[in-house]
Amino acid sequence: MDIIVCVKKIPDPEIPPAKFKLDMESKRVIPPEGIPPVINPYDEQAVELALRLKDKYGGKITVLTIDNDADTSIVKHALAMGADEGIVLADKAFEGSDSFSTSHILSQAIQKVGNFDLVLCGRQAADWDEGLVGAIIAENLSLPLVTLAEAVDVVDGKLKVKRVTLDGYQIFAVPTPAVATVSNEVGQPRLPSGWGIISASRKQIPIWKAGDLDADPSQIGAKAVRRRLVKLFIPVREKKCEIIEGETTAEASVKLAERLRKAGVI
Amino acid sequence: MKQRFDAIVVGAGPAGCTCGYSLAKAGLETLIVERGKFAGAKNMWGGAFYGPTLFQLFPRFWEEAPIERYIHRHRFSLLTQDSSLSAEFTTKKFGEPPYNGFSVLRAKFDHWFASKAEQAGAIIATGLQAEDLLWDRNTVAGIKAGGDELPASVVIACDGVNSDLTDKAGLRGKLLPRDIKQGVKEVIQIPRHLLEQRFNLSGEEGIAWEFIGSFTRGIPGGAFIYTNKESLSVGIVAQLSALCEKKIGANDLLENFKQHPSVAALLAGGNLVEYSAHLIPTSGKAMIPTLYSDGFLVAGDAASFVLATGLTLEGANFAIASGTAAAEAVIRAKQKRDFSRKSLSCYPELLKQSFVLKDLKTFKKASLFLENSRIYSQYPELACDLANKIFTNDGKPKKKIWKLLKNSMKDRVAFSEILRDLIQIKRAL
Ligand SMILES: Cc1cc2nc3c(=O)[nH]c(=O)nc-3n(C[C@H](O)[C@H](O)[C@H](O)COP(=O)(O)OP(=O)(O)OC[C@H]3O[C@@H](n4cnc5c(N)ncnc54)[C@H](O)[C@@H]3O)c2cc1C
Ligand SMILES: Cc1cc2nc3c(=O)[nH]c(=O)nc-3n(C[C@H](O)[C@H](O)[C@H](O)COP(=O)(O)OP(=O)(O)OC[C@H]3O[C@@H](n4cnc5c(N)ncnc54)[C@H](O)[C@@H]3O)c2cc1C
Repeated sequence: MDIIVCVKKIPDPEIPPAKFKLDMESKRVIPPEGIPPVINPYDEQAVELALRLKDKYGGKITVLTIDNDADTSIVKHALAMGADEGIVLADKAFEGSDSFSTSHILSQAIQKVGNFDLVLCGRQAADWDEGLVGAIIAENLSLPLVTLAEAVDVVDGKLKVKRVTLDGYQIFAVPTPAVATVSNEVGQPRLPSGWGIISASRKQIPIWKAGDLDADPSQIGAKAVRRRLVKLFIPVREKKCEIIEGETTAEASVKLAERLRKAGVI
Repeated sequence: MKQRFDAIVVGAGPAGCTCGYSLAKAGLETLIVERGKFAGAKNMWGGAFYGPTLFQLFPRFWEEAPIERYIHRHRFSLLTQDSSLSAEFTTKKFGEPPYNGFSVLRAKFDHWFASKAEQAGAIIATGLQAEDLLWDRNTVAGIKAGGDELPASVVIACDGVNSDLTDKAGLRGKLLPRDIKQGVKEVIQIPRHLLEQRFNLSGEEGIAWEFIGSFTRGIPGGAFIYTNKESLSVGIVAQLSALCEKKIGANDLLENFKQHPSVAALLAGGNLVEYSAHLIPTSGKAMIPTLYSDGFLVAGDAASFVLATGLTLEGANFAIASGTAAAEAVIRAKQKRDFSRKSLSCYPELLKQSFVLKDLKTFKKASLFLENSRIYSQYPELACDLANKIFTNDGKPKKKIWKLLKNSMKDRVAFSEILRDLIQIKRAL
């Protein structure tokens, strides 16, 4: 089974929010210097899911990322885990893309890779948390889509996809090729092995530019965005501390309850 | 895919990058493993890099390497609670290529260094920790890492001060707190124009500034400030055993230092962007482990190649020189197809020919001398008190300096002690 996994580089989610800066002018979020970005955790789980399928059925896993710095580090991470090929999509023309243009670029790249049974995306990118890209790719390529996938298997030539719900799960049977977005219920992604890291480090990663894709110039980059970011700001959060005294615990508790009621909290 | 490497270098600090670079350049199949996410990810040092070792490898490296500033001035200060006495040295030569020293930040610098080794043909595997050695009877035959066995003809341990591999190869005993200094460092961001104004710098000029005094509360050690492009590296280094005995955290000493009025003024308005801590092997020659065995070599901090004279702390240049010597020994061994102990025994010879073992021998008594607590409390106080008496004008008739000195010495230090310490200085430094 041949699988394409879309992986995105994001600022490390462990960075405390206070360390980020905002550039109000260009409406950009600036992460602190010196802390390396990571692969979106859901995408790492998508790679894990793909590897489990490969372990069982064989086939080839290709990872794609759009990264305008042409940084190969997260593609190499996926290769170190066991993926076979990786491609970085980088071009000035991609800059400022929103979820729609991002999906257009990825859709074109997926078609160029060709020959696939399954496309996996993360359920959402843990920076903007929009969760749109996988669905738009499915729409662009007119393929069946299952969101929030926890497990995938093959039964009678069809994909059997287990989808997470609030209090249980659903099972879908879908013909190939199909698209699925992957949820964290997949579980712990595997650690790269020694030889995995070594072979990933040796690999030349191709960089595809806009010209390498059959991309519609009116669909990519800042000029193609369908949504405009009006305002980007850090909300002010106020914290107050009040000590409620009382002769006895009971008295203090009653006073506390009264105070909370007055504040409208209870 | 799976193969046997000629050499596996463990650690992509200055020692490992140099060694891996030289081996790959000589055509050996070389693997460098580094546990950090990228080379330099978790590494730190004070930040000044001295001497010609690097331009012997890469002529005009300062044009391509991520250098912060070149050190054109050295300043040294003695601090008491609220006073300071300083001396400064600068010379025209320090401001001209090939320069004498550079301030660098390791996250960028090590990354650059590793990329040079990669360009030379070495494989750099980051995010991979060497967990153990592979053995073929009594010969080291590779490493275990990431659940795999990675075979090699020779392993070079460049894994820093805590070198697990040197322990596992049985080449050294436990590190003693007395032989180790704890370093803590902050990187404090300051707008470039303000920084240059405060330190009187222009262009790419930088200053390396060392301090000793009361802020270490008698614990052997000192503090430093190095100027980067738009930030300061501010840190202290203090003997681990004394910190443990006095139950003081190195961090408290750094806070002490930062609160000194002369220092606080330099840091005012700065923004703390990075905090790190690291150990330094500072007992010099006395703590050097056995440097090689069958299929195994040790270089850099792992071999305790650090020179601490009280005025300077040098380790990076020793790491580079020893990485070069280790590579040379391995290249010769490869020609003979013999990686035995005997074949690798040219390694210490090469080190003796270079400054590495010469300097460590010259200063072999320095570390003992630097344990003298008078250096950190009585002498700075004496010097500042004397300066205070000389420079304070209280309208009264002046005394001869000699008289003032005797006065300042009272209750602090006896002539006999000074004499003894001077003799010690002559022996140690
Ligand atoms: C108004 C607005 C302005 C923005 N401005 C900027 C900006 O200036 N700079 C900036 O960097 N971002 C900006 N963004 C964010 C950026 O547009 C989106 O992060 C990006 O298009 C991906 O979409 P997403 O985050 O919605 O991904 P999601 O839909 O949450 O991602 C789901 C999955 O899609 C795949 N995927 C998503 N992105 C990629 C990718 N790049 N490569 C490979 N696979 C991917 C992954 O599998 C991921 O798990 C902006 C967003 C908005 C709404
Ligand atoms: C506070 C402080 C200030 C200093 N100031 C200066 C100065 O101004 N000038 C100067 O010249 N020197 C200075 N030094 C000393 C200098 O930093 C060291 O001597 C030098 O970095 C030694 O280089 P190295 O390559 O031997 O080791 P390191 O730089 O320690 O590199 C070791 C590398 O090995 C990796 N590693 C360790 N174990 C493993 C493993 N099992 N598997 C894989 N990778 C592993 C580590 O991640 C690291 O990247 C200072 C040190 C400190 C702590």
